[in-house]
Amino acid sequence: MQGTIQNREGFLNTIAERLGRQRKQSVNKPEWNDQPQFDVYKGATQDQLLDRFKQACEPVHTEVRETSVSELPNQLKETIMDYGSGSIVIGKDQRFVDFGLMPTLKPFDVHEWDIQLGQENIDKAAQANIGISFSDISLAESGTTVFLSDKHKARSINLLPYCSIVIVAKSTLVPRITQAMRIIDQRVKAGETIEPYINMISGPSNSADIEMNLVVGVHGPVKVVYLLVRDC
Amino acid sequence: MPMKIGTEPFFERVDRSIHDDFMRQAMASAQDRLRGRKLEATVGDDSLIDWELWRNAGEEIRRHTLENLDFYLEQLSESYAARGGHVFFAATAEEANRYIQEVVQKKQAKHVVKAKSMVTEEIGLNEALEAVGCDVLESDLAEYILQIDDHDRPSHIVVPSLHKNKEQIRDTFREKRGYTKSEKPEELAAFAREELREAFLKAEVGITGCNFAVADSGTVALVTNEGNANMVTTLPDTQITVMGMERIVPSWEELDVLVTLLCRSAVGQKLTTYVTGLSPDLEADSVDSPKDYHLVIVDGGRSKALGTEFQSALHCIRCAACVNVCPVYRHIGGHAYGSIYQGPIGAVLSPILGGYEEYGELPYASSLCAACTEACPVKIPLHELLIKHRQRYVSGGGHPKASEKLSMKVFGIGASSPSLFQMAKGMAPAMLSPFTKEKRIEKGPGPMKPWTEIRDFPAPSRDNFRKWFDEHKKKAGDDQ
Amino acid sequence: MKVSLFVTCLSEMFYPHVAKDMTEVLERLNCDVEFPKGQICCGQPAFNSGYLEDAKKAAKQMITAFDGAEYVVTPSGSCAAMFKEYPSMFADDATWKQQAEALADKTYELCQFIVNVLGVEDLGASFPAKATYHTSCHMTRLLGETEAPFKLLSHVKGLELVPLKNNYDCCGFGGTFSVKMVPISEQMVDEKIRHVEETEAEVLIGADNGCLMNIQGRINRQGKRIKVLHIAEILNHQQKGGAEYANENRDGALL
Repeated sequence: MQGTIQNREGFLNTIAERLGRQRKQSVNKPEWNDQPQFDVYKGATQDQLLDRFKQACEPVHTEVRETSVSELPNQLKETIMDYGSGSIVIGKDQRFVDFGLMPTLKPFDVHEWDIQLGQENIDKAAQANIGISFSDISLAESGTTVFLSDKHKARSINLLPYCSIVIVAKSTLVPRITQAMRIIDQRVKAGETIEPYINMISGPSNSADIEMNLVVGVHGPVKVVYLLVRDC
Repeated sequence: MPMKIGTEPFFERVDRSIHDDFMRQAMASAQDRLRGRKLEATVGDDSLIDWELWRNAGEEIRRHTLENLDFYLEQLSESYAARGGHVFFAATAEEANRYIQEVVQKKQAKHVVKAKSMVTEEIGLNEALEAVGCDVLESDLAEYILQIDDHDRPSHIVVPSLHKNKEQIRDTFREKRGYTKSEKPEELAAFAREELREAFLKAEVGITGCNFAVADSGTVALVTNEGNANMVTTLPDTQITVMGMERIVPSWEELDVLVTLLCRSAVGQKLTTYVTGLSPDLEADSVDSPKDYHLVIVDGGRSKALGTEFQSALHCIRCAACVNVCPVYRHIGGHAYGSIYQGPIGAVLSPILGGYEEYGELPYASSLCAACTEACPVKIPLHELLIKHRQRYVSGGGHPKASEKLSMKVFGIGASSPSLFQMAKGMAPAMLSPFTKEKRIEKGPGPMKPWTEIRDFPAPSRDNFRKWFDEHKKKAGDDQ
Repeated sequence: MKVSLFVTCLSEMFYPHVAKDMTEVLERLNCDVEFPKGQICCGQPAFNSGYLEDAKKAAKQMITAFDGAEYVVTPSGSCAAMFKEYPSMFADDATWKQQAEALADKTYELCQFIVNVLGVEDLGASFPAKATYHTSCHMTRLLGETEAPFKLLSHVKGLELVPLKNNYDCCGFGGTFSVKMVPISEQMVDEKIRHVEETEAEVLIGADNGCLMNIQGRINRQGKRIKVLHIAEILNHQQKGGAEYANENRDGALL
């Protein structure tokens, strides 16, 4: 469905007029003179990025548990228990199967996102203690997990529950936001329709609005834990 | 005038502010902390290679984008609409408000939740929505605090409730919302979380501002720590984004640089907790995304700066780095500016958007120390723009005092005539001798009066350097 | 090396001893010092208040006065920065613009000139006192000179230099700001003085007479006992050898 555009011509004509020229039909974006973003952690190995990522998690109040692919199911189970288990919500995501996590989750009170159920999904997520999700791209510089959310890997999962457990595969680590945005940029330039919700999350929600005191846990999750999987 | 705060004259606002001890102390300590954090995350972060290169990159991107603004806005509207979103270009605040009122009325919506947005403050959107019977709730913690305190106004563009202490906030929560706990920030925030969670779940419409729109992908990027903007863009069925027309980047490539500059300059974080790219959703069966997307692009006087010496003011990314280093802001706080945009950028922007009649004093509320220019991550020459405002103000834009105009004329004559200057210099000690005691003047006449209200003025020296220099040279010549 | 003194109107009116100290310091460094008589004021008060045309008159006078100079040296970072601003004032006048650029290129603040052009840091000065230093805004931000004064002061014998908290904050002078925005300026200078007092320094040193006039004026009004000195006075304070030059014929006003 095509959306609508209102009032555009007069508005843009005013801009062009103020700029003292005709409307521009095309623009050649220059090669920017300074591009320091590509030099940050340039040439770092995956192991160096892993170290950097772990370091970055502390200041953002995020616990990191490192594990191997084979140990992941156990580690996940333990983490769920440590964070009070209760009700859990997960996305419809093939990676739970690929990492062999479905049997681990079975004994718990787990809701898997199902678009057929409509609003019920949101109600479940809002009441859940834990949401579990996979980071699509992970940023070493800032301890950030990137979620390319869609209707199955829903945005509510790492937003509404009290705790967010994020599985971070070592293979998804890149130096910084630059590489994540470049991936997205290239997809846009290739004419792809990007996900409606691309969320880059670094730790639990927080606020310093009251006398500049940091309060962790405002609207989003109060606790965030990363399970860092050495998959490469 | 929603951009305007208060009706008192400037100096009355200043006077009130400098007698507000808590506020002053809060401003100073916030500045010291924010400045320290910013330095650590910018010039102090070796992994960035060289912060100056980032500033150069930011400036170049902003300049290019503003020079081609019509093109990028057109591209944005096409890409947003191609994804099913609706775009409305609003030349004025009234047009923007009217459109949003219509959208909300068409939905028969009663409950609106908002994420923090300066542009919606600027256009007075809350009042417009309340006028059509909507219940509007601010969800940013600071904005929420201000809202329930009888719509108090923001005193800082990033931390709007900076002027309030936790005891005041506790009392407001008690009085207005039946809060029963203590003034601990954790308890206050937990209470707001509960209250707002309910509001998010029942709201029909969510409204956000826009940190940057991405022209080629039709995306609105939001940068927050609390996650409230994510709630606002996840739960309600209708999503409305209001953006100042200059808040745009060509593509995700540039978004990277500007988000980096913004997060580090505003709060000294590598990234804020949430950096979210929201694009209209084509998938009808998605459960937790809005069904209806609107993007309202506001001019509101911004175009008056295009093609003028003030164009670079539109490069601003609202990080408040200039506010956090401004020694004037430090002492008078945000409300004294009388505008929702405070500090150096406020003193530059408010007269552009609101005129000299309302904001003519603001460009003078600066000692031109250039701390702002040095701090700006996109290299806006803020102190130079303040001088340019003064030039416009005295040459017809405003109402300078006749006495000031005259004294500057006399200055111009005196400063271009060595003999006149020497004559004045020679006469000064005698002329001022009635006011002089022990080589200083405590109560000066005429133009010296404001100076001597608070400080002594040095008595003009009877000593003559020119004469000394000649004799000194002569003596040196004789010695050889 | 020929050096043309630009002593500034403030020094000429109120602080001639600073101009003398500067002269003597430069002479001791073997500079051939001259004083162009056509100089008056750089025009900053008018320029910063928005009176561009009146400021241009002052600028033209100065450009003409320093026409033949090899180096122009001034005891004020702010006035030096104003010279650097001249080319922008004559954007639509190629002849004046060219001359303005020539002047801007050869202009230095005193400390900057000594350290960066002459390559000297130790002037053999001696000043036994505990002191702190006010980094003027225009010197640090507009001229970008943050090191030269500290290099020079580090060699002054007996001088104990202690750091000043929030040294980057403006002292509240700001030229006409100090008389247009009195209540704000007052708060700024008071905070500056509080920070100076916290250092327990006996002396506050600066390199800009505008700032010093403001701070000193407020200190006097409050009856506080902190000495305020221009860096040229410190640098010309000689233990021996320079004694015959130093403090010659001093009749300063306040400093």
